This record gives sequence, C-alpha cells and structure tokens, in this order.
Amino acid sequence: MTRFLSLRATGKEGNKMIQLNRNYTLPEREEDIIPIKVIGVGGAGSNVLDRVVLDGMDKSDLIAANTDVQSLASSVASAKVQLGRSITRGLGTGGDPELGFAAAEESANEVREALSDARLVFICAGLGGGTGSGAAPMVAQIAREMGALVIAFATLPFTFEGKRRSSQAQEALARLQGITDAVVCFENDRMGDLAAPKAGIHQAFALADMTVSQSVRSIVNLIQRPGIMRVGFDDLLAALRGGGGRCLFGYGESDTDNRAHEALDQALRNPLMDRGRMLEQATRVLVQVSGGPAMTLSEVEILMRELNRHISDETQLLFGTAVDGRMGNRLSVTLISSLRREDAPAATPPVRRPMETHVAPAAPQPPAEPSPQPLLAILPEQSAALEPAAQENPAVSAKTKELLPLEENSPEAAPVQQNEPEQAPAAQAAPEIEPTPAPEPVARPEPVARIIPPKKKPPLAPDYTGPKVLPHPQPEKGSREKVARQETLQFEPVTRGRFEKSEPTIVEGQDLDVPTFLRKNVRVK
Amino acid sequence: MASNDLMVGLEIGTSKICVVVGESRTDGTTKILGVGQAPSRGVRKGEIVDFETAMQCVAEAVADAEQKSDLMIKSVYVGVGGAHIQSFNNRGSVLLPDDRDEIDEQDVEDAKISAREVSIPAQNAFLHCIIQHYHVDGQDGVLNPLGMLGQKLEADYHIIHGVRTRIQNTIRCVKELPLEVEDVVFTALASAQVVLSQQQKNLGALVIDMGGGTTDYILYVDGAVKQSGAIGIGGDHITNDISMGLRIPMARAEKLKTDEGSVTLGNCLPGETVVLKDDSGFAGKEIERETLNTIIHLRVRETFELLKKQLDEENFINYIGEGIFITGGCSLLPGIDHLAEDIFEIPARVAHAQTMSGLTSAFQNPQFATAIGLIKYAQAVQVERPQRRGLSRLISKFLPGIR
Repeated sequence: MTRFLSLRATGKEGNKMIQLNRNYTLPEREEDIIPIKVIGVGGAGSNVLDRVVLDGMDKSDLIAANTDVQSLASSVASAKVQLGRSITRGLGTGGDPELGFAAAEESANEVREALSDARLVFICAGLGGGTGSGAAPMVAQIAREMGALVIAFATLPFTFEGKRRSSQAQEALARLQGITDAVVCFENDRMGDLAAPKAGIHQAFALADMTVSQSVRSIVNLIQRPGIMRVGFDDLLAALRGGGGRCLFGYGESDTDNRAHEALDQALRNPLMDRGRMLEQATRVLVQVSGGPAMTLSEVEILMRELNRHISDETQLLFGTAVDGRMGNRLSVTLISSLRREDAPAATPPVRRPMETHVAPAAPQPPAEPSPQPLLAILPEQSAALEPAAQENPAVSAKTKELLPLEENSPEAAPVQQNEPEQAPAAQAAPEIEPTPAPEPVARPEPVARIIPPKKKPPLAPDYTGPKVLPHPQPEKGSREKVARQETLQFEPVTRGRFEKSEPTIVEGQDLDVPTFLRKNVRVK
Repeated sequence: MASNDLMVGLEIGTSKICVVVGESRTDGTTKILGVGQAPSRGVRKGEIVDFETAMQCVAEAVADAEQKSDLMIKSVYVGVGGAHIQSFNNRGSVLLPDDRDEIDEQDVEDAKISAREVSIPAQNAFLHCIIQHYHVDGQDGVLNPLGMLGQKLEADYHIIHGVRTRIQNTIRCVKELPLEVEDVVFTALASAQVVLSQQQKNLGALVIDMGGGTTDYILYVDGAVKQSGAIGIGGDHITNDISMGLRIPMARAEKLKTDEGSVTLGNCLPGETVVLKDDSGFAGKEIERETLNTIIHLRVRETFELLKKQLDEENFINYIGEGIFITGGCSLLPGIDHLAEDIFEIPARVAHAQTMSGLTSAFQNPQFATAIGLIKYAQAVQVERPQRRGLSRLISKFLPGIR
C-alpha cells in the first residue's frame, strides 16, 4: 500500500521531467499527460511487462500481477500484486482459469488500489493458462469499474499447445472483448514468423515479447506525445473499433537516408500486418508518424503516399504526426487498425448506443462508467463471440456464468430488449442497404444470438428459418456488386488498347490485357 | 562438316525479330558472327496474328543478319513462345525381357516413347521431351543407364507441348521465305542455355524471360528441367498501360518506358516530373515520375505474382539453390531484380548470355538471350545428333518397322 503511494509520487516526478523535455514545443500542454498504468497479468503478462521495463517507458506505472510468487519476485516491475494470497498460497494456478479468476477476485482490493487514479489501463496477458485467462478479465472489470479506459494486449497460445488451451484462450478473449474497450490480439502462431527458423526458442519468445512491448510503448507514446497533428484516445478507439476481429498493428523505425520508406516497410512487415495485405480490408487505419525535428514534410508525404497503396479508397485514415526531440535522427511509423472477424461489410453501428446496452447488464454493480470518452461499440460482436463459444462448451460456459455474475446477472433477454429498438434506427440510417428494417427484429425467435446474424454469414443458416430475414443481407450484397461493376463498366470501352484484336489473356476471370492499375483501382495522376 | 558448324537462331518476338548467326568452334565455344534484327509487326503476345506482315519482317531481319555476317542463311533454329505453351512431368517405364538384363539404346528409346504416351489436348503437339533422370530397378538419379544391368528402366521426362497450328504458323512463316527449319525450340529453354551454366542448372535456378509479348519461364532443379511455361503478359502490356494511364501514344509510351521507367517505388521526390519531348524536340507534357513507376510496378508485380502462383502449384521452387535469373527485354527495367526478390523471396538478378565470344555488344544485351540461346541449343543438339542419327539409322536398317 505504502509502496504504491511512493510509486505514484515517483511517477509524478517522472512527469515533471517530461514537462522539462517538452518545454521547447508546447509547454501549455502539461495537464494533458494522461495517467497510464500497464499491468501484466500472469506469467506471460509479466514477461511482456519486464520487456517494457527493460525497453524503458516513462510516463506510466508498470504493475506485475501474478499468482506465482516466484515468478512475481523475479519480475523487474516497480509494483507487484500477488493474486489469490490464500487461494493459491503463492503457487501458480496450474492452468485453471477458474482458479485464476477466483484469485483475482480475492485480491480485487489490491488490484483496485494498484490501478487507482489511472485513466488508461493496459492489460498484458497471455491467454490460455490459468492466471492470464482467469484473472485478466477480472482485472479489466475492476479497471472499468474505476472509470478507466481499458485496452488489453492478449497473446494467444501456439496451436501446438493443444486444443484445450486454445479454447480457454478463446473464451478468455471473448470475455476480455466484452469488458475492455479494445483488445489487441497477438497470435503466437504468427509471431513464429518473427524469428529466423534457426533462432533459439529463447530468442523467439523474446522477440514475441518485444513485439508486444513495442506496441504497448508505441501506443503510449502515441497518446502522450505532443503532436503537430495529434492522435488521441478517440482516434485510437476508432481505429480499434469493430473489434472481435483481428487487430492489425505495425511499428517501424529507421534512421537511414530512405527512412520514410524503410520505417513504413518495417511497420508493414510486422507479423500482425501480414505485409500490409490485410490493410486493404480495414475500414479505419490510424497512422502516426513521429520523428526528430529534422523530419521533413516531403518524407511524411512519401510515406503516406506509399501507405495509400496498401489501403482502399474508402478507408478512413486517422492521421497524426508528432515531433519529439528525443527521436533524434529516427523516424517512426505506427499503424493500428482492426478487421472484423468475418469480412462482413463494415456497417459499424453508431458509437454511443451499444454503450448503453453495455451499461445495462453491468447495472447491478453500482459504479457505472463515468468515462468521458466514447466507449467501444463492440458489444454486439462481443456477445456474438461469446455465444457460439458457450454453445460449443456448455460445461465451461456454465461455470463462466457462475464466475462472471456481472455479465449474466440480468436475465438473458435484457440486452436484447435493449438492442432491438436500436437495431432499427441504425438500419434506417443506411437507407439503400436495408430496405426492410421493420420485419427483421420480428423474425427473431430466440433472443440472444439474434444480435449477430446480420453481420455474420455462417451462423445464419442453422438459426434462421424465417424467409423474411434472408432478404436482409442479400440486397446489401447486391448493391455492393453493382457499385463494383459500375466502376469497371466505365473503363470497358477503352481498356484493352493495343490488344483489342488479339486473343485475351484471361486468368481467374480477369482480363489481364486491361491495365493493372485500372483493375486494381489504383488512381494514377 | 563446315556448314554444320554454322548455326542461325531466329526468334520471332512480339517487339522485334532477332537473327543471330553463330559458329561452333572445335573447343566448344561459340562465336557470334552477326546479328540481324527488325522491328516486329503482326505479332501479338508471341504469336503471329498477321501472317504476311510478320513474314516480311522476318525477311528483313534475315537480310540484315546476312549482310552483317556476310553469309548466306539456309537453315535456322526457330524459337516459339506464346501463352499456349504448357508443360508437365511424366514417367515412362520399360521392362526388359527375361533373357537380357543389359540396358541398351532401344530400351532408353522405348522408355521415352512410353513417357510420351499421355493424353495432351487434341490440338496440341509435343515440342520438347526433356530427360530429367532415369531410374534402374528403383535406383534413383541415374544419368546414363546405357550398359547398366537391370530389369526395369524408368525415365522421368519433362514434356513441353503447345497448340499445333500456332507452332506450325511460325514454321510456315519461315519456310515460305524460303528457309529451312532445323528445329523449333521453346524460347525459355533456349534462353536458359545461355543464361545458366551447367553448375547453376545443377544447383537449381529459375529463368524468367520477360519479353515483349510473353513472360516465359523455366525452372531447373538437379540439372533437369522441372517446370516451364509461359504467361501472355510482357513488355507490351507495360507500354499499353503507360499509354492508357498517361494518355500518350504507344510509341511515346514505349520510349518513356525504356528511357525513364523503373519498377522501384518510393525513391522519387514528391512532384518529380519527366518532360515528354514532342517530335520536334520541344518540351511537351510533364509526367510525374512516381505515376509512371507505379503503372510499371503494378504490372510487373502482378505478372510475377501470377508466375509465383503457377510455380507454387508444384513445389520445385523451394529447391532452387542458385536463384532467379531475369532476362528478356523487360529485364532492362531498373529494379526488376529487387521486385522479383521481394515476391519470390529468392535472390534474383538480371542475366545475359555467358560463355560466348564475338560481338560483345550482342550478347550483353538480354534482349538477344533467346536468339543466342537458340545457337547454344543447336550446338548442344548437333553434338548429340550425328551419333544418334547414325545409330538409329543402323537400328532402323536392322529392325525395320520399329521406328
């Protein structure tokens, strides 16, 4: 307890130092520093946290929380919370998420104390084990109750770790997605690509930790760094909104002559980016370019133009740039975005409404979110993600219900009643996409799962019997196709040029004689 | 024999027709005596679409080569390409009769015939049947089974075939000149002969011949051809893209491509422009360099990606030890090797003909790789041929009806 107080004091010291550093730019911004706390939950979480500490991050407090005392003792974090002092007696949870949850519940007060005053809480956890999967959602819950915004950095286990672990991880992920504002999800399988095949396993894990740490740090920097064009919380949340899907994250840094190009290249090479291929499907992409005072406008311009090639025309760019004297000669790029789980058309519901639904089930617990920031609109998807999981594994989900009183306290129908009237106005907002808004809610025989179908295609078939509902996604698809066809039609008469009279080269339905830039819809000039 | 040593390669390309006259020397090297070329018309995507015009152009090129080398050209090796060319691998096998266990010439020939006994589309004809390896009684990797003892001889062949009528069109075009056609050779196979050394073939290499109308490829592993084929996209497409994207005439676009084009993106200053001169040499339209490069980049990238997809159908690309060799006119685009490296994730370089003497300017230009390769191919074939012909003639004398 006293430890935390002293820690906070040092934290403030740190803040003062930063003011000094920032003095030359924008001294009036000092009150803008947002109290941030990073908490690592479980073994993997602590490892990441250690990495963050080693890489050095000011402007935020770092807390390690674990059931295993040994591992906690070896952590280099400045603040530590032992979870489940009496339940686990300083041992681990043995891979049991329930135990992890109970442990976190027992130590709720300590966690609450550790997290006090924070407006933004990052939770790092490796899902699949006991403490990470069990305690992280509870910690997130506590943070939320205290009015902080919560972003979770979750690592999913390798496939070879077994099905059980990955199903535990998926379940925990779904819960995290329900509670937190956003989840940045790292798939260990993808991280495998990071290290050279011959690199030692130690190095491979270190690299994975480093990637997570890098993203934590870059997000913190993103928010804290004074910007010429500033990206804030709201932008970050907007980029991560519509979660439940994959998070795209890339960070690159370079100090060579061609640094703009190289930094972007590096960012796109991040395993979470899939070489930038996934970016095309993202609806919103947050980009922050920061560099030393020597960063030139043309560099930023080159970089952004290059980035534009990887995203589609409809993508909303949340762009920010910052100058930081400490960057020296370096230039860094941070890319953040998220994909929906299915490639469903991104008709994101308006921000505020789902928040109301979220508050409703949380009502029995008195401290509702007073947070001034717009909250994430992930609830519909989140419950979607939760529900199928529950169907697959009824035993586990029953336990989940017991353990998570908050989520399930109100009867199941409650969120639906809230949701139904909302869905209709949302549909009306997009007129040509949705010709039949009214009959749609009527056709729902069974409440909870009904929230998803308009967005998810596969689960549609088994549940849906009413013919009224099917027309709903159909016209949407049709109208999209129409748009696409129109574009090609425009070019049709002139496209083949010199090859007009020769036999067309058609591969996979594309006439390759038509210029590539036309087919790929890249605007030239 | 002197006339036999003189070899002429003729490539009817989409953008130009090349004739290379070479001489095979006793020490095994090849000397280039003359190179003739003429701009090609009536050819699209490596295939003849206007017979009369194409024939005229061939005649021009041959005349040019005759003049430069001061020789009369009587017979040529002709390169054929085009997207219709396909390939596959097949294994043929023969069982030796019980009373004999030494493999002879005839068994090898029979194995080849049995390998060819596969169904290819009715309109197609075999172009090449290239031996990869022999297996004797299950023993792998036999290079020459002649004289070995065994009961079962199997032979892996790489078979290249194409649409008969289109190959015949090319042959007819040459025959009407009139010139004799010694052989028709798949262009990528010819290019590989000069671009790759035997050692590189053994280590495994991919040759991409990106010409005017088509992109041909051939992949060697363990010294044997494992995969080959062609895609109907080439430099013409790039020119066409530029012409349409920047709204300039084809001829301008072609010049712009060769003079200023590059496939590298992101290394131009924002707003850097190229001034397009008009016929009288005055400054005309200004074109943004990055735009030009983008158009080229997208097309080349797409072509390589398409190629990668074709190569990925079989797994041979992972056995490449030496890397990718890019040749043909498009290989002159700056940065194309880096792009190939980026896409295939294998070291790539631009290559031109090696191990030749004579007109150096000719063989240092990747545009001539195919034509020079034809000579090299001819040389290789001629070394084998006299013996084989002699033997098979003997055989057919003794065993009429078998061949």
